[in-house]
Amino acid sequence: MRRARHRWIAPFTKESYREGIAAMMPLALAISVWGVVTGVAIVNAGMTVPIALVFTLMVFAGSAQLATLPLLAVGAPLWVVWITAALVNLRFVIFSAASRNYFIGLPWRQRLLAGYLNGDLGFALFQRRFADDTERGTAEQHGYFYGGAMVNWVAWQIASIAGILLGGLAPTQWGLELAASLALLAVLIPMANKFPAVAGIVVTAVLSVLTVGMPMKLGLLVSVLVGGAVAMAADAWSTS
Amino acid sequence: MNGFDDTLYMLVAIAGLTVVTFATRSSFFVLPPSLELPPMVERALRYAPVCALTAIVAPAVLTRDHAPFISWHNHQMWAVLAAGLVFARWRNMTAMIVVGMALFTVLRLWT
Repeated sequence: MRRARHRWIAPFTKESYREGIAAMMPLALAISVWGVVTGVAIVNAGMTVPIALVFTLMVFAGSAQLATLPLLAVGAPLWVVWITAALVNLRFVIFSAASRNYFIGLPWRQRLLAGYLNGDLGFALFQRRFADDTERGTAEQHGYFYGGAMVNWVAWQIASIAGILLGGLAPTQWGLELAASLALLAVLIPMANKFPAVAGIVVTAVLSVLTVGMPMKLGLLVSVLVGGAVAMAADAWSTS
Repeated sequence: MNGFDDTLYMLVAIAGLTVVTFATRSSFFVLPPSLELPPMVERALRYAPVCALTAIVAPAVLTRDHAPFISWHNHQMWAVLAAGLVFARWRNMTAMIVVGMALFTVLRLWT
């Protein structure tokens, strides 16, 4: 048991920290592939290397980084950039609501950092491991969380920085920006598991292609609003 | 206009995006414990990212020069279609990216 009081890290047990590392390790390859693709896509789109490094070290959200890349490239209004990232990241709000009981007893700094580190893979592993535990917020649970989060963060940062440093070497004809679309597709497909989601995807896809000429990339927000409304309507209809 | 060359624009954008990451990931960790997520809102939160990701990927793949580009000659479209099928079937991201990029490269070089 870690006894030293730390402002940002909650007390945790070493055993479960190691267990968290071991659980996340098999996923490190997939995280690294994602990271390299993201880093390469960022510099191939034209972002300078120093800015790209700040971008990936600070934002630490691959799908939001890839999603805002085409917007930043054309200098879209900042509010469009931020709303787009927020929309892509809204899934994390569900994650935080689902795992809050494991962290709610901690000081706010520790909660803030734990939330920042709570990505897609760590959340999935953690839920699978502790969903049946009746006691929530133990040092064992926090150790497992930090172990997985540490592997995720290190693998992601090393890979995305490698992608940023090497990405400039690839000729643009290779079409590496396509890899960014493929990486986003890997997040999108598992979420397309029910009729309302599929209906939303189809409507949004058609609208976003038709409105691509709209100024300031506003076609994106318009198609998300309409597509989202269609998904909600389909949900209400299919559950009624 | 190219946003990447405007350092101030980029730094402000990145600062805001960092706030967005914290605000979404830590939302319910720092909100008052009495606040619950209503099922209706949760559903909306579930569909918003689905639609937002679609609105990024679809124009990237299916448009060119700000106009729809749905044609036999759209190599990206075929690559994404093949990659999507691979991922839907095997749920392997690495295989999917390899298949998609390989098909794209083959079409680019041989057609």
